Amino acid sequence: MASRLWASRAASYLRLSVSYRGFASVVKDLKYADTHEWVKVEGTSATIGITDHAQDHLGDVVYVELPEIGASVTQGNSFGAVESVKATSDVNSPISGKVVEVNEELSNSPGLVNASPYENGWVIKVEMSNTGEVDSLMDSDRYSKFCEEEDAAH
Amino acid sequence: MILVATTGCGFGTSCPTHRPPKKRCHSSYYKVVLKLNQSNFKAQVSSVEIHHRVRGCECFDLYKELIPYQEAWSWQKSIVRKRQALTGRDEDCHDNIIILQHPPVYTLGTGSSEEYLNFDLKNAPYNIYKTERGGEVTFHGPGQLVMYPILNLRYHKMDLHWYLRALEEVVIRVLSSTFSIKASRLDGLTGVWVGNQKLAAIGIRASQWITYHGLALNVTTDLTPFQHIVPCGIRDRQVGSIEGLLGESGPSSEWGAENTSHNLIDVTHDSLLKEFSEVFQLTLNHKFVSCSDFLKEEPLIPQ
Repeated sequence: MASRLWASRAASYLRLSVSYRGFASVVKDLKYADTHEWVKVEGTSATIGITDHAQDHLGDVVYVELPEIGASVTQGNSFGAVESVKATSDVNSPISGKVVEVNEELSNSPGLVNASPYENGWVIKVEMSNTGEVDSLMDSDRYSKFCEEEDAAH
Repeated sequence: MILVATTGCGFGTSCPTHRPPKKRCHSSYYKVVLKLNQSNFKAQVSSVEIHHRVRGCECFDLYKELIPYQEAWSWQKSIVRKRQALTGRDEDCHDNIIILQHPPVYTLGTGSSEEYLNFDLKNAPYNIYKTERGGEVTFHGPGQLVMYPILNLRYHKMDLHWYLRALEEVVIRVLSSTFSIKASRLDGLTGVWVGNQKLAAIGIRASQWITYHGLALNVTTDLTPFQHIVPCGIRDRQVGSIEGLLGESGPSSEWGAENTSHNLIDVTHDSLLKEFSEVFQLTLNHKFVSCSDFLKEEPLIPQ
């Protein structure tokens, strides 16, 4: 798959080590929360999704619960959920703000989260209320290391 | 293959991804044990280590009662909220579990499809609730033991697949050890199966790694209401119960003429709690509080 090829190039660029699940890709310019969500910040706008590591651990996503447009999100709090294999778990927001767009495609194709976690599988777009919050998130290198440690611990 | 639960990645030192929650809860226990050992002059390091690996679990045991679904659901959510607040303060010192029965009710999961209902939602034969757990439609009713473990997976394993397999393991062990029924898992079909029959359904929710909802095991359940749905969205298989399977094994079974429904529920309940405690390495502390007592402190949240 094209995204896997792209991911493998990204992996070698980032010098990621391979975990027992195979590697999970991490994208350089994004920021990451320790609950495995990514955020792409462009000015005061943010796009949020879940990481390749998260979708790999979840397995096939069968349902994505999206918030309403206009809803508030708070850093560290849940704004939606993903379901896979009889377990539904929260998706938390890495930053605070107001939801301005949700990825309606996920209603029909929840598998986009698995197939393209950083691009077509984006979940919500938020108008940020506090751009300073980004500083408390991990960059791609720290997040890669975080994932390695988490997998090693289990 | 499922791993028997350990208490996650060892306490204290070796787990970089686990925040320091363990220190506040377990240090006091640890100190008490040390004090005793000192007064006995012979501190055994190994016994101290063993003590601090076992986590407590408050058990709300209402297994003979039919608790309305909405009340139990609100109760779970209120416990989850308390536990999340405790986790935020590094004070989440024990897990919880509720075991009970429900009056007849259908429940749906987050992604549930109405195509698996053989009736109109407006004309449902029993109450029906759309919940935040995973999984498709299922039925709960008298004769079915329902367990709602509210576990902080940070103290076990932060892996939902592992958790589902562990819940299955509890039921598989109950069926084997207590009834000599050989049950199994089916790849891709979460739940516990005996041949083509599903005996236990599982559907959970994890919120900041605190789980709720759980499993439902048919003991003496009247299975007729399952005919009005496609249980768990699986069309070409059936639902079974322990009583049904024991009946099939004929009069020579030790459970033959002498067993009563009442007895089966009691025995299954005892076994469920025992196996749960072992699989998850939890010490159960029975708490005698009723659902309504608990909810008096917290108003019912309208759904």
